[in-house]
Amino acid sequence: MSAVVSPALAARAGAPAAAGAPPLVVAHVAKSFDADGRVVPVIGDLSLTLNEGEIVAIVGPSGCGKTTLLNTLCGLIAPDAGRIGWFGKEMSGQPAGVGYMLQKDLLLPWRTALRNVMLGLEIRGVGLSEAEERAHVMLDQLGLHGFADHYPTTLSGGMRQRVALARTLVNEPDVLLLDEPFAALDFQTKLLIESDTARLVRESRRSVLLITHDIEEAVSVADRVIVLTKRPTRVKAVYDIALGTERTDMIAARESAGFVDYVRRIWADLDVTRQ
Amino acid sequence: MNGSPLPLRATAPGGVDAATQAAAARRLAAHRRARLRATLLVILSQIALLAAFLALWEYMTAFDKQAAFMFGSPSAIAGFLMTMARDGSLWRDTYVTGVETLLGFLVGNVIGTLIGLSLWYSRFVSRVIEPFVIALGSIPIIALAPIIIIWFGTGLTSKIAMSTLSVVIVALVTSYKGAVGVDEDQINLMRTLGASKFQIFRKLVVPASLADIFAGFKLTVGFALIGAIVGEFMSSSEGLGHAIFKAGSLYIIPKVFAALVATIALALVLTFIVGKVEKLLMPWRRLG
Ligand SMILES: Nc1ncnc2c1ncn2[C@@H]1O[C@H](COP(=O)(O)OP(=O)(O)OP(=O)(O)O)[C@@H](O)[C@H]1O
Ligand SMILES: [Mg+2]
Repeated sequence: MSAVVSPALAARAGAPAAAGAPPLVVAHVAKSFDADGRVVPVIGDLSLTLNEGEIVAIVGPSGCGKTTLLNTLCGLIAPDAGRIGWFGKEMSGQPAGVGYMLQKDLLLPWRTALRNVMLGLEIRGVGLSEAEERAHVMLDQLGLHGFADHYPTTLSGGMRQRVALARTLVNEPDVLLLDEPFAALDFQTKLLIESDTARLVRESRRSVLLITHDIEEAVSVADRVIVLTKRPTRVKAVYDIALGTERTDMIAARESAGFVDYVRRIWADLDVTRQ
Repeated sequence: MNGSPLPLRATAPGGVDAATQAAAARRLAAHRRARLRATLLVILSQIALLAAFLALWEYMTAFDKQAAFMFGSPSAIAGFLMTMARDGSLWRDTYVTGVETLLGFLVGNVIGTLIGLSLWYSRFVSRVIEPFVIALGSIPIIALAPIIIIWFGTGLTSKIAMSTLSVVIVALVTSYKGAVGVDEDQINLMRTLGASKFQIFRKLVVPASLADIFAGFKLTVGFALIGAIVGEFMSSSEGLGHAIFKAGSLYIIPKVFAALVATIALALVLTFIVGKVEKLLMPWRRLG
């Protein structure tokens, strides 16, 4: 099926239960919160599948439960109902091989860029010299050569988010869960970092679930866009994006023929004016 | 070379030329000089204010025997400082109080910070002990002095105990506040990276609490000193508190002030050291 498979994925594929299973299957997940004794249903009934090497974008009205969904997927909160399967196995606790990144870069101010990138490797007990080596390579790939010894306070917003991306990618996750990671960046920086992310992710056939408010970002980056309704949220529409261009150059993607049409249709689906 | 209509040097393509760089360096140097001048002005104003205050004090007591007796005078205070320095009592008393304060400060902060940080581990335990901590924290330290002297004697140990007790609750509360104030998203990130609770504690909670812990250190320098001095008031044969108490009961008011000057100097030196250690331990805070 694929030419390049990440080592972790290949290892998992060896397990009989996981053979050929998509990285992530979400079936009929529901979640409510208690707000002052009132039960507020946030996720109504949500199902989706993330295939290997696929980038799926999720757009939806503000406050509809996108972040809640992501937190459920990576085991930070438990769903009330439904099933979540990682690589064909029922989820229990924190899933392995999953990277998580937010709009806030969450860099530790007392660590240099390099040591921030090394955080996950350190936690998993990777040796110091190997961790340093891998972190250096990752920083270089994201255009941060020469900034390894900088503290976060001395880096620009775009550079900080690149360090955060390096911190996520250096652990070689099979799946990335991204929650509006580029929302705070200016337009040029955003296009560049989107392109770099798409390139690195597609090169290694990692899968991505990207939450975004930016419909143009969703259409230009993703293979599939899922539109959610407002609370209690469920899937409203799914778009398979076929732009017919190399999907690692966001400028080309935004200039391709079908782009504007997809954006318009998704915009209409989101129904922003009726909020 | 470029067709840009705006002759903006700094943004010209092809990098920054030597002239621009030199101009930037000049601007930076000018900026630094301006900042230095501002700091200098502040220091000079402070010296002037102090001098004016001392001059007024000296003038008001110079021709009035009763005022001189009640309030002392800067020259009399300086005289006593001189005498105390010559006969060695100034150094001995400062040393004794300094040791009591420092040990109380260290023991109180180590115990308080360790408990405060480790309370992060258990929401349950911290909720259980919260009212007790508040109750203990509200006891005026002087009310404990008689018991402390019964328990620890009249020597050095009782002063260190007093000093420790006046520090420990503050250290506990500030470090606990720091630990529970850590960004929830940051903790979640650590969890998704597979961190154990202990790893989250060591790699995130402890370093993230350092700023609050040091704020507590700065606050407790004064508390440690109060504890030591109150301990010396109760019963002692040496120390600055002893000197103040003795001079006060003999109505030698300039001598009280002289010992007070030494006490203030001690507090300033200790605060200065804490500030230096803070800069040393948190180099990233100097940036940005
Ligand atoms: N721990 C919680 N307790 C109670 N209510 C919560 C909690 N977390 C989220 N909510 C509520 O759930 C709803 C969905 O929140 P969520 O952050 O998932 O939305 P979102 O789609 O990510 O929004 P945005 O697009 O603004 O990021 C909100 O109305 C929020 O107030
Ligand atoms: Mg959100």
